[in-house]
Amino acid sequence: MEQLTSSLAPPRSAPKSNVASSSQQVAGSVAKRLSSELMTLMMSSSPGISAFPKHDGNLFEWVGTIEGPSETIYAGLSFKISISFPPNYPYVAPTIKFDTPCYHPNVDITGGAICLDILQDKWSAVYSVQTILISLQSLLGEPNNASPLNPDAASLWGNPTAYKAQLMKYYRPITDSA
Amino acid sequence: MLSSTATEALRSQVASKWQESFSRINRDNPGISGLIGFSEAWALSVQFLYPQDIRVSPPPDADTYERNLIAIRPAFNLVSQCRRLPALLENFLEDMRKNFHFIEAEINEYMTRYDESENTNEIEALVARLVQWCHAWEPPQDLDSLGATILSSYTLNFQTRVFSALPANFTAAFKNLCRSLLAPPPYDEDGQPRQWDSSIHATTWRNFDFLGMMDRYESIIASVGYEYIEQHVLDTCTGEWSKPMLEDLRTWMSDRVVPWMLHVYARGATSADEARTMLQGVGSRFDFHINKTLCELRTREIFNIIIDYPDSLGALTDLRDSLHRTDQRQNLVKSLRNANRKRLLHPGADTKLILQQYVATIKCLRIIDPPGVLLYKVADPIRKYLRERPDTIRSIVASLVGDEDSGDSLLDESEPVQPLQQHEFEDYTDPNWEPEPTDADPEFRTKRSSDVISTLVSIYDSKDLFIKELQVLLAQRLLMLTKDGSDRVERERRNIEILKVRFGEAALQVCEVMLRDMTDSKRIDVHVQSQKTSVVHPMIISTHFWPALESSELVMPGQFQKLAEDYAREFTVFKPDKKLKWLPHLGTVQVEVELEDRTLSFDVPPLEAAFIELFSQKAVWQLDELMKAVGSVARSAAVKALSTWVDHGVLKEDPENTFILLEREEEGGSSGIIRDPSRLDSTPPDVPPVASVQQQQAEQMRVYWKFIEGMLTNLGTLPLDRIQTMLKFAPGYDQSVDQLAAFMEAARREGLVVVRDGMWKLNK
Repeated sequence: MEQLTSSLAPPRSAPKSNVASSSQQVAGSVAKRLSSELMTLMMSSSPGISAFPKHDGNLFEWVGTIEGPSETIYAGLSFKISISFPPNYPYVAPTIKFDTPCYHPNVDITGGAICLDILQDKWSAVYSVQTILISLQSLLGEPNNASPLNPDAASLWGNPTAYKAQLMKYYRPITDSA
Repeated sequence: MLSSTATEALRSQVASKWQESFSRINRDNPGISGLIGFSEAWALSVQFLYPQDIRVSPPPDADTYERNLIAIRPAFNLVSQCRRLPALLENFLEDMRKNFHFIEAEINEYMTRYDESENTNEIEALVARLVQWCHAWEPPQDLDSLGATILSSYTLNFQTRVFSALPANFTAAFKNLCRSLLAPPPYDEDGQPRQWDSSIHATTWRNFDFLGMMDRYESIIASVGYEYIEQHVLDTCTGEWSKPMLEDLRTWMSDRVVPWMLHVYARGATSADEARTMLQGVGSRFDFHINKTLCELRTREIFNIIIDYPDSLGALTDLRDSLHRTDQRQNLVKSLRNANRKRLLHPGADTKLILQQYVATIKCLRIIDPPGVLLYKVADPIRKYLRERPDTIRSIVASLVGDEDSGDSLLDESEPVQPLQQHEFEDYTDPNWEPEPTDADPEFRTKRSSDVISTLVSIYDSKDLFIKELQVLLAQRLLMLTKDGSDRVERERRNIEILKVRFGEAALQVCEVMLRDMTDSKRIDVHVQSQKTSVVHPMIISTHFWPALESSELVMPGQFQKLAEDYAREFTVFKPDKKLKWLPHLGTVQVEVELEDRTLSFDVPPLEAAFIELFSQKAVWQLDELMKAVGSVARSAAVKALSTWVDHGVLKEDPENTFILLEREEEGGSSGIIRDPSRLDSTPPDVPPVASVQQQQAEQMRVYWKFIEGMLTNLGTLPLDRIQTMLKFAPGYDQSVDQLAAFMEAARREGLVVVRDGMWKLNK
């Protein structure tokens, strides 16, 4: 019996290694896509949004910076976000959360999770880091109060003074130690 | 005691052996009469088989031999009966060994004669002679006498001896003989190949076969065939690129090579089918050799083939087909890369030329290898080199907008205009997906459908460079237009429309504005002219959308000033919210110079017009006065402008730096020449009025700067070495840490970054 299983073992492991190598190839093509997105983002010079890989050699973890759009309540504030790409990107949306506490109807104030349709069910492979960042930036000024993650913020939205006070209570300016 | 017993046993054994042998040979004959009979038979047999020197005693003719054979047969039978045939064979072979020096002597004779004359007939004769020897010494082979065993050991023995007796240079001589035997009959007077007569050399081939030379020298015979093929391929195909040669070569092989292959490889074939089977192996080897030779030839010629494209289409098809059969792809890449390095990628080659060759290479290698692996490998050095050339972008853009003057555009008219391809990602859901070829590099990207322009544009990492250069070029071309250049504008517009397809609408918006400025200018001009006719036809451009234009302090004197002011007034009436800012140094002026004895008309640049205008006030001017009168211009530019008039014979410089108007034409042109030509040398070349874009180096650095900016924005402060490693994300980054340090230092001086304790951060 033992002999039988041991003789069966190699073929069983063979397909496994195949899977590993093909997933490596996929990772290669994802890296290609990410590196090209990085290039596009760097060259696009969209004001107020930026992102860059966190560590050299790893294209799957990025840090982003979003400046609040001018003439909104967030003007003058900068928010750090972290972006984590799944191995099957772009078929699956990246995971994005705010690292800087962000008082916002669609942002979880403690965890930084974001409620944005294109990051969930409306995700499509044609979106890129750049489009995500732009969407997030506009989300700051135009929250979707219908499906709030932060009901307090949603209810305060109509009262800019109180809202701003709450916002500033949570907000922590970005330091260089990031 | 022991030894005596042993001796006893030995003795009895010997006695019994002896008895046995005796009775076998004596065959129970009375006394020793049987023994005597055998002895006679043995002697006769040895005598019959004895290898004679055929030079002194020629072998008997067939009849005599037959008679002798009948006579000797009883003796053979007796020997055979006594089971002494092995001994007879041994004896015979020993006799042969002793007498083999006859043959050796003769071999040497023939070889010496061959060495002197180099005549392969000697070798042919030698082979024939060896066959004679072999036949003369051959023991009878019919079963009644000695049987096949003795014959075969004789043949083997004889061949071995012959081969060992043949001198070293026989191989070469044999090869020469084969070559002459295999050479096809010469062409007759009409240039038609004579009918191949396969029977001419049949005897010689049979002789070869008889002596076992076919097997022993098979590789030599094959090499003759190979060389023959090589020679033919080189003779017929070198430099012949217009049509595919492979088919012709195959026909040639079946017409000319197969007949002699029949001799060599299909000997003993009884039917055509059998011959075909026997030829199959060697035939495919020879066919392979044709492919290989052709492939090697084309590989050597590849650079010139590419130059000749599309006239060399045939050669490319050949190369593609022969590459399928032979594994020469690596060689092709190596050869082409070498040729490119030696002949193309050096300072002596014009950028336009390199681009043309690159485009031709793209097209050629697409024929040879559609997936583009070869192209990728070959193109890489060219692209790297082009990236370092300062005028590459300019050249590409110039060909994009289709310079009619240059004639040979890089673009293929037939190629459909399509959008630039960005890096594509593998679509594994595509049912037609194919894996990358096995010899593809890891960085290889399948560029299945990408067109030439996309490939050229992709030399640089960003297409922004092209857009910028395009704007500059368009600006230059538009500014050069004179007032009736509307069809040129139309042409530029068409170009831009085509480029929109490639680069996208948004990228070319600026160019669009520039073109609209042209039509708007025209419209405004028509309106202003209808209010008040003027000779001024300004080109009104929107500063923000045009590349930086060279500024100038030129102030137009006299009537020009007034004309401009009048026009500006009318313009302000028409467009109250806009104000004209003149760029008087750009444009052309149509002047008519009325002198006492002649009237001349010219199209000249504004500075020239300004000067000649000044001469209407007084006839003699100092250079410094002139320069002051038109605001402020560079001395060299002023001298150049004046020299134009000197050349036209309108002005004369005398003495130096003093210019006199020639109201009457002077005889003899010598005085009209500027005295000191060295002053002209300092004239800057005719630079386009548009400030040229930054060098590619700076552009590349600008790309890197964007990355540095990006990483510092998001990661806060970073040490230099970390920036260096993070810059690996920027495609094509190849700067050293020291270069980066210098670059960061420059950025610090510009106030873009600050550094503290070796940590860099953005200066906000």
